[in-house]
Amino acid sequence: MQNPFNILIAGVGGQGNVTSGKILATAAQREGLRPVIGETFGASRRGGTVYTHVRIGDTDLGPLIPVGRLHVLLGLEPMETLRASLEFAGRNTIVIMSSVSIPPIGVHARTDEYPPVESIISSLEKMCARVHTVDSDSILRPINAIRSLNILLIGIMAGLGISPLGIESLRLAMLDILGPSDKNLQAFELGLSDNTG
Amino acid sequence: MSSVTMDESPNSEEIMSGNVAFAKGAIHAGVGFCTSYPGTPSTEITETLLQYRNETGMIVEWSVNEKVALESAAGASWMGIPSLCVMKSLGLNVAADFLLNLNLSGVGEGGLVIIVCDDPKGHSSSNEQDSRFYAKAAQIPLFEPSTPQQAKDVVAHALELSQIFRVPVLIRSTTRLSHSGALVSSSPFSSHLWVPSQNLPSGLYNVPNPEKQHRELMEKLELIQDKFDNHIMNSPPKEWKDILFVATGVCQKYVEEAMKYIEEDVSFFGIVTTYPVPHKLIHECLKHSKRIFFFEENDAFVEDQFRIVASLENSPCILDGKHSGLVPFSGEMNVDLVLEALRDFMTPKKEAEYEAVPVLDSRSLLIPRPLTFCAGCTHRNVYYALQRVRKRLKGKLVVTGDIGCYSLGVFYHNSMETMQSMGSGIGTANGIARLADFALDSKVVSLAGDSTFFHACIPALINARHKNVDLTFLILDNSTTAMTGFQSHPGAAEQDESDRIVEIEDIVRSIGPDSFIRIGATDVVDLTDVMHATIKQPGLKVMLIDSICRLERKRKQQPQEGSIRIETSLCQGESCRLCVSEYGCPAITWSSDSETAEILDHLCVQCGSCIAICPQRAIQEE
Repeated sequence: MQNPFNILIAGVGGQGNVTSGKILATAAQREGLRPVIGETFGASRRGGTVYTHVRIGDTDLGPLIPVGRLHVLLGLEPMETLRASLEFAGRNTIVIMSSVSIPPIGVHARTDEYPPVESIISSLEKMCARVHTVDSDSILRPINAIRSLNILLIGIMAGLGISPLGIESLRLAMLDILGPSDKNLQAFELGLSDNTG
Repeated sequence: MSSVTMDESPNSEEIMSGNVAFAKGAIHAGVGFCTSYPGTPSTEITETLLQYRNETGMIVEWSVNEKVALESAAGASWMGIPSLCVMKSLGLNVAADFLLNLNLSGVGEGGLVIIVCDDPKGHSSSNEQDSRFYAKAAQIPLFEPSTPQQAKDVVAHALELSQIFRVPVLIRSTTRLSHSGALVSSSPFSSHLWVPSQNLPSGLYNVPNPEKQHRELMEKLELIQDKFDNHIMNSPPKEWKDILFVATGVCQKYVEEAMKYIEEDVSFFGIVTTYPVPHKLIHECLKHSKRIFFFEENDAFVEDQFRIVASLENSPCILDGKHSGLVPFSGEMNVDLVLEALRDFMTPKKEAEYEAVPVLDSRSLLIPRPLTFCAGCTHRNVYYALQRVRKRLKGKLVVTGDIGCYSLGVFYHNSMETMQSMGSGIGTANGIARLADFALDSKVVSLAGDSTFFHACIPALINARHKNVDLTFLILDNSTTAMTGFQSHPGAAEQDESDRIVEIEDIVRSIGPDSFIRIGATDVVDLTDVMHATIKQPGLKVMLIDSICRLERKRKQQPQEGSIRIETSLCQGESCRLCVSEYGCPAITWSSDSETAEILDHLCVQCGSCIAICPQRAIQEE
């Protein structure tokens, strides 16, 4: 594993960003590693951009990922994934992103225009090593678990085998943080088997 | 003393934030009394202590403001109880008047520690002040931990120092420490029995010779310097190289990491006891180094202390940091800014795989994501009504604002026009309204929330009554401190059993405004008409607006019934768009397929406020 291994979760307030950070850090602790989480949650309740930095290594680190040293970017929303990518991504970054957009308020007011998600994806492809997009609504709506998007993306990451966090550690960490939850477990399993990207 | 086991197993590690670590450190240190006013990024320290208060027996309170909190903590300390006072950066401004007297009078046997959480970059603040200068202004010792583990450990050190020297001791955190999680050692802790003294110690005043007390404080500070010389929390270099990096707070970790990415061997000094930095220690650094780089968040606080000694000693050592333009004075620090500062002096290691790939044309795709009021938040209704009133008054309206969720009014068609400190909305409105003597023709409105009203608005409201100015004061009362996560306050709906409610209405009525109106915030049409009529009247008018925090409702699991829908046959489509472009609730979106408004059921709280907004009555309740 790259030491430290850096994961950034980017999304909009209310998407389970901070919870995802806790799950990844708990899984890292279960693996005997030393996690550090950096959160910006002042805006998390009011529809703003939220990033959670998760850094996993064998020594304690500062909470912010340096530019270019991002290994996995979990994108809960396309615009926020692009924003985070422009700030932190490098040649090695693997992006796992939901293609379901949440338009900022300026889009309704017509002061801003949300670009086509395809152009966001092609920009990400130019910047990063690999971009795995998922139409999360089509996967989560049938099991009535739209709010488990964060878990779906963690499941995809685990299924791709690109992080130092094992599937079993992640399952147990989810249990620690979320308690027993069938919907989350289902979302995780759907993520594990989603390698259509 | 009975032992209370709270953590899973003895001497294990658990992931905790800097703030939780501060709280656990306070419990371990034997703190018996904690006061605070909520403010990001400090709030979780007191929240955690509240959570454990049944087990610890600690007295923990949300005070009415930071000044009262600090005074209260000093009172407990004087009577022998180890005390803690917690606040955000701006809160220390409020408490500073008392702090700059308490430093001379001294704290009691119990000791008193203040934790102040700064917010570089202002993630959740209206400024990015460096509160360390209060340590210098008050000439009191200061600690700056760098990790959650140090946050836990530092409280006992600070309290011990306070007890020995009878001075308040300041601990400074920043957002990236308070809100970062890391592994921290956890161990079971014991509950304490605190026995207050029955009398005050003597000499708790600074007159008639404050200069004598000042001199004594300076003497204490000399002795504290000696203690800091070999303080266990500092990390002095194991061996000296020509170049030394000095770092404080979270910058310690950023610098340690940056050192891995450069070729040169340098020495590193992480300082936690940042005021006063012992002159002996600075002398050693200057003697052994040819060049020193300083990394700290916000101002050149430690750098300045080094520069003073260097100048006194005529040191040839080159000092680099903020004053030489290498490290920014504003914003947050990170590893990249450390490397950027070193660019002309150090060689980066070649690591091709980590080079950033600039794709500049993608930047044009980015659109901003401004903060908005939650779906169904009644603050939106107040501002929507104010905007209507502004139109009716042909723009002759000024609106001064305050600190809270409703501060988002600055992003809502600029309907709240000012925002500075707690209580400054009604304060500045006083001055503007007095200009009626110079023929000011605009109507003056100020607004504040309930917690802010208690915190800092009452003197300004009394001033407005006394000076008999023409202004309208709107109090947006949602009965909780919503912005920081629903803390209690004197008028809050949710109170401890032993607390007594203080009604905002009683206070306002006793000040005697020319008119007092209490009105609900859900009926926008009624609110607009009443607001318009009230603002037009001459005199001092107060509107207490009963407001609803939907997050608080959700938290208490009080779901609404029914559902809201758009009758598409009535919606005027592109020619109107009032609901999405002006009212702007996140639960109303625009369908480009049908060219009508659409309700997002998963966000809608079914408050029904938007029903009255639609001129065509296309928004309906089912």
